[in-house]
Amino acid sequence: MSQYENMIARQRKWMFYLLALLVIGAGFTPYSRIFLGLLLGSSVSFYNLYLLQKKIADFTDAVADKQPARGLGTVSRFAAAALVIIIAMRFDTYFHIISVLIGLMTSYLVIMIDFAIFKNKN
Amino acid sequence: MGALAAAIAVGLGALGAGVGNGLIVSRTVEGIARQPELKGQLQTTMFIGVGLVEAMPIIAVVIALMVM
Repeated sequence: MSQYENMIARQRKWMFYLLALLVIGAGFTPYSRIFLGLLLGSSVSFYNLYLLQKKIADFTDAVADKQPARGLGTVSRFAAAALVIIIAMRFDTYFHIISVLIGLMTSYLVIMIDFAIFKNKN
Repeated sequence: MGALAAAIAVGLGALGAGVGNGLIVSRTVEGIARQPELKGQLQTTMFIGVGLVEAMPIIAVVIALMVM
């Protein structure tokens, strides 16, 4: 596997671990509103991460093959973030909105920590 | 006025992200066109760059929707 595919697999694995922890937190702790907010934000963050990984792979493959390249999907990611905030504001009883915002940033945390740990190993 | 504030916040955030993404993507395309064997490394660098550049406008979108 290439360096990029390895990085994608690692990031996906850590996001799944994080989502599993949040599901346990939502189910077994008294702070279910906060954990549900984190879970909602992290789910959309994971979708954004997947979209970014896929679009960048497609884009660079197209450039390397000298094919016309498509966009990077920026608007789709903004729209996903907007949708999740609208959902959180509409169902305020179930989701803590600041937690949703923190959850939205988890994929960036995963990207930064992964880069900091593995930048010299590959 | 709330809608105007939200529009300005999102617009300025997206402007910064557009400039940043443009710089990253142009250099990556240039690099891959010169040396296609470095595609893996350049992909990784581009991914991290684009990911971190887009964090700020996403926060801008969220805050704009919250204040609107």
